[in-house]
Amino acid sequence: MILDNIPWAEKYRAKNFAGIKGQENAISKVKLFLHNFPKKKVIVFHGAPGIGKTSLAYATALETDSEILELNASDLRNRKKISEIIGPAVSQKSLFKQNKIILVDEVDGISARKDRGGLAELIGLIQKSAFPIIITANDIWDKKFSMLRQKAEIVALKDIDYKIVIDVLQNVAKEESLNVSVDVLTSIAVRTKGDLRAALNDLQMFSKLESLDIASDIDERNRERTIFQALQYVFKNSKIDENMIKVYDEVSMSLDEIFLWIEENIPLEYKGEELAKAYDALSLADVFRGRIYRKQYWRFMVYQYFLLGAGISAAKKGVKSGFTSYKKSSRILKIWLNNQRTAKKKSICKKYALHCHISIKQAMRDFMLLKIILGNNKIREELRLNEEEIAYLDK
Amino acid sequence: MSEHYNSEVWTEKYRPKKFEELVGQEEILKRVKALVNSNNIPHLLFAGPSGIGKSTLALIVVKELFGDAWRENYLELNASDERGIDVVRQKVKDFARTKAIGDVPFKVIFLDEADALTREAQQALRRTMENYTATCRFILSCNYSSKILDPIQSRTVVFRFQLLEKKDIKRRVDLIADREGLSISADAFDALHEASEGDCRRVINLLQATASISPNITPDLINTIVAKARPSDIRVVLDYALSGDFLSSRDKLLEIMLKESIGGSDIIKAIQKEIWELKIDNMLKVKMTERTGEIEFRLVEGSDEFIQLESLIAGFVLAGEGKVLEDGEVKELSGEKISGGF
Repeated sequence: MILDNIPWAEKYRAKNFAGIKGQENAISKVKLFLHNFPKKKVIVFHGAPGIGKTSLAYATALETDSEILELNASDLRNRKKISEIIGPAVSQKSLFKQNKIILVDEVDGISARKDRGGLAELIGLIQKSAFPIIITANDIWDKKFSMLRQKAEIVALKDIDYKIVIDVLQNVAKEESLNVSVDVLTSIAVRTKGDLRAALNDLQMFSKLESLDIASDIDERNRERTIFQALQYVFKNSKIDENMIKVYDEVSMSLDEIFLWIEENIPLEYKGEELAKAYDALSLADVFRGRIYRKQYWRFMVYQYFLLGAGISAAKKGVKSGFTSYKKSSRILKIWLNNQRTAKKKSICKKYALHCHISIKQAMRDFMLLKIILGNNKIREELRLNEEEIAYLDK
Repeated sequence: MSEHYNSEVWTEKYRPKKFEELVGQEEILKRVKALVNSNNIPHLLFAGPSGIGKSTLALIVVKELFGDAWRENYLELNASDERGIDVVRQKVKDFARTKAIGDVPFKVIFLDEADALTREAQQALRRTMENYTATCRFILSCNYSSKILDPIQSRTVVFRFQLLEKKDIKRRVDLIADREGLSISADAFDALHEASEGDCRRVINLLQATASISPNITPDLINTIVAKARPSDIRVVLDYALSGDFLSSRDKLLEIMLKESIGGSDIIKAIQKEIWELKIDNMLKVKMTERTGEIEFRLVEGSDEFIQLESLIAGFVLAGEGKVLEDGEVKELSGEKISGGF
């Protein structure tokens, strides 16, 4: 089953307006915008990650029978490139479809300083375009977008209500013949706070687990509460007291997990000097972890905990006030999703590695170079690559 | 004979098959040869960077020991690919169950990249080595012997491989050029060598990739291939960091590492090279390179590469403000030193 490897967030992406959940207001604004076009040429969808900005753009294209021409942040990095890509497109007619929509996805990636050319070009493009332009952004109120805001129709997408998220999850679970209780779906929905994509990712990850029992999930929430408290203590307190040394004692997680939580959340609290100092402490703690690991000097645990507690706490200049909603590490999930995507590449590397006495990992690292060598048909035969693998190489 | 005899993959086609064909590592060869001639080898540990002949030497050892029957008496495992020590143990067990065929009273297990094993796995490996010592010899290979537990090191004879000298690599390249009908100018060889950093396997792969375009190997052609095979976006990671955008820098870094399957040590190498290409004050480059060196050291010593790299780019965010982190303290580079700027 080829579909098995597709992230569910992609597989179940809404196709049309009817499929977009919880964004009725935004949809009616899009319809109005299209009706009035070209009074305004550009519409901006903004809002938190995973609530359907890109899906809404594609649904708009489908509803208007248009072809989408997509640009991402890295394409916008300079004036020359954007002209090349989009210059001809604004005037030429589409080969297959009458209409076109230009989509500039995740415009937040543009840096005000480094990509000034890209932003200026985007604004210039808006004046010239004969087709509607859709821009998606997380935070359109950043001051670098002030020019853009004047020219655009701004549409805010709401965080998706968790009840709607549960509905969607329930449908997907049914499609995937996944036997999972409403309690689990609810906890996924609550935890992901209206980010539907994250919820679908979580559900997909969940489906890979051996047992789908609720108990372990409730357990999970308790575990998260303990790390929340510890992080709050370390990040918010200004003074270093004796508690700082045993701050992680109550956390019911492995040390490796604690590392991941700290790593993920440092940038939520610290900037500039504080950020550098905190990561320096984390980096040193990791060095001790490595030494314990290899030399089994368990005594080093003391320094490890000290650096993770007092070390990271001492990086700040003053008290941090306010509530911070700490996040679970996204790195592990990204690694997992990436593995799903690179399955074909991996199967090629496996064959090559076995044949050439190296590790699969090494073959993966050298893949860009090996790909050229694997252009040779005799070598493809020698390695017994199958049709799918050859298609991947020729792609 | 060997199934690779007619291989079209040059790293296999031109892999040395006898001691005499190996280039470099003379001292090691002498000693290993003596061991093999006595028909009784101890456990061996080959340490050194990739592409300098560790696996090749292991293969030669078993071919010399067992002759044509080497396949039946040899098991090759790669620690970085096996899912945990249990798999390794099971495979070793299955393999070691039957007696060796021929005159030599033991079989040989080659465990490549043994430094990829966790501490627990290495402990288990140590027991396995002891349990099967009557019927099996282990040849372990690793990049860093410091990552192998002391108790394992003390049970093996350790050989530290040196980087191959340029002239040794040249001999190999000349041989291939001759057999494959390639013309390689002197400066083309220099480019080839520089791009490969003494890694002979990479030299040969690069040569084959280049030759697939034209038999006249020029520096330009090599550089084109190198550029094609290099992750191009490291610069973006640095740009984001220097402009103060830590989160974008971190995301981009992870994206590159995942998309191109590159490990931390290769990333940090690329960063170190890229620093000198930046259009910033030279003094700042010096400080950033110092920091890179410190982090590369920690990366070898530590356990989570990504955390080390994050710490590096957090330092670069500071550098973007004209400040540096030294011994845990933030220092400001003085005004005149920073002049030139962006």
